[in-house]
Amino acid sequence: MITQLKAQDLIDFETEIAGFFNAAQIRAPIHLYSGNEEEMIGIFQDIRAEDWVLCSWRSHYQCLLKGVPREQLKAEIMAGRSISLCFPEYRVFSSAIVTGVLPIAVGIALAIQRAGGSERVHCFMGEMTSETGSAHECIKYATNHSLPIRFIVEDNGKSVCTDTRQTWNSPVLTYENSSHPLVHYYKYETKYPHAGAGARVQF
Amino acid sequence: MAMKYFDELKRSMEFLAADPRTLFLGQAVAYPGTAMSNTLKEIDPRRLIELPVDEDLQMGMTNGLALAGLVPVSIFPRWNFLLLAVNQIVNHLDKFPDMSNGGYQPKVIIRTGIGSVRPLHPQHQHVGDYTDAFRLMCRRIEIIRLEEPHDIFPAYEKALHRSDGLSTLLVEYGDYYNEK
Repeated sequence: MITQLKAQDLIDFETEIAGFFNAAQIRAPIHLYSGNEEEMIGIFQDIRAEDWVLCSWRSHYQCLLKGVPREQLKAEIMAGRSISLCFPEYRVFSSAIVTGVLPIAVGIALAIQRAGGSERVHCFMGEMTSETGSAHECIKYATNHSLPIRFIVEDNGKSVCTDTRQTWNSPVLTYENSSHPLVHYYKYETKYPHAGAGARVQF
Repeated sequence: MAMKYFDELKRSMEFLAADPRTLFLGQAVAYPGTAMSNTLKEIDPRRLIELPVDEDLQMGMTNGLALAGLVPVSIFPRWNFLLLAVNQIVNHLDKFPDMSNGGYQPKVIIRTGIGSVRPLHPQHQHVGDYTDAFRLMCRRIEIIRLEEPHDIFPAYEKALHRSDGLSTLLVEYGDYYNEK
């Protein structure tokens, strides 16, 4: 594991950011994690510095666990860039567009494979993203071409405020009970809303 | 002897292939199928990545290959097909430097075409030139229309060697394969 961060370190970071946002000190959206700290630390057990990590608009935990220094990450968030955090020196790339990182992750994995490299790609997505055609295409391509990639599906049951299962009229999602070799699925409950930190902020 | 449009495209592809960072991807790059396929015939097949028909996947993979340090040449035979890849072009490739404080500056070469209308007219969904619309949407991708045979090689030379952080989208005219 790249860092020695504990669950409480992650919680403390998001709590601090929530405080700044609620005090109107961040003039851009933030998307906070909570309730998945142990799961995330488990996922990062075998992620190495040379690996790539691709995320959505919610990526503070991944950045910290990939080794981005706390103060550097905080500075980016305070500058309004939480929604698409990118740190080339740590091989972190995030996109604020649903499905945006999926084919990009596949391309990076293909480049690694062609170069005979030992790096791996870890691509995070929410459960609504995991139900899209793009997710199916990317996972199918990566599987059939044996690419060095893992897809992590994080299910908090909601896409913004929309109930994912209700919209698809599907009580069980595609990867929920799957043993797909390239997909790691987990479910969690968050205390934060989709964006912001739960308080009405007057800028 | 006057340079021909097709010959200059073929020469340009072989020039690109001489750089070990490049590879060519899309539909009908390793297989025949389009006029563009014929410009790739002399290229080492190991450099040609035939993809499923899935433009968003193709353009996203193109971006990923470029982030990893390669110079992908992504081929979309018509503007109409490229429209299905707009998210990865406008929301991603064009925004990478802004999203990363200039840290990610991948170099991508995109090749597309204006559908030919002579002698056969392929009708409404296979013709059209969206160059001007894309110029309005993209700040970090130079879009070059290849009007004449002598425009072609210098444009690809610039696309490969440029160091200004921009990617390049080169637009061919399907009709000129036979006419110029």
